[in-house]
Amino acid sequence: MKSNFDFERIWKSKRALRQRLAAAPIIEKLRMLDALHERAVAIRGARFREATAIQEKPGSYGDRKEKTS
Amino acid sequence: MLNQMERDGVIKRYAIGGAVGATFYLEPVSTLDVDVFIAFKPQQESLIVSPAPIFDYLKQFGCKIEGEYIVISGWPVQFLPASGPLLQEALENAVEVDVEGEPARVLTAEYLAAIALQTGRAKDKARLLQFIEAHALDRTKFEELVERHQLVNKWRDFQQQFLNEE
Repeated sequence: MKSNFDFERIWKSKRALRQRLAAAPIIEKLRMLDALHERAVAIRGARFREATAIQEKPGSYGDRKEKTS
Repeated sequence: MLNQMERDGVIKRYAIGGAVGATFYLEPVSTLDVDVFIAFKPQQESLIVSPAPIFDYLKQFGCKIEGEYIVISGWPVQFLPASGPLLQEALENAVEVDVEGEPARVLTAEYLAAIALQTGRAKDKARLLQFIEAHALDRTKFEELVERHQLVNKWRDFQQQFLNEE
């Protein structure tokens, strides 16, 4: 099947959207973050109910960092 | 609330990090929690670091505890001691940003990126890549941090893996 999608244009518009969002006033970005958070909580709730959720490894910063060697 | 905690002496200094901190420099990215790096008061420094005084203080304001988190304004907040040279320095150099008339202290983009490099989970690498692609970093400052905090090998690996540099 032949595709008519112009991926270069799609990437360009995605990049432009990200730049626009990054340049938005901080209060607007924090509101977006609130909305994203609500959505993430709802999705996580649904996934946990299915009992097949993959759990994210908690962050380990600085001195709490795991020994790797 | 964080400013109030500082004024009331519950914590010595705070700065927002993680995905919420990154949002001050990048496009918003979905996250489940807020990471707040803190320095404790001098008298607390010799003791085992415990979040209990913070939790006790916040409970007075009706904040609920959920495991290692405390829920403030609907957000699970994790208070993380700024332990280790990179985090300590990041906290000292955090900047104040005005959020609708209220100051909020946030880690700088270069420190957020260096912490992401040090932490090194997949999502941290993705965040570092976002900082680079958005040209949100002062590369000279960032590379100084990388060198000073012995992250040169990690940075080299990251560049080879994601940036086709070196």
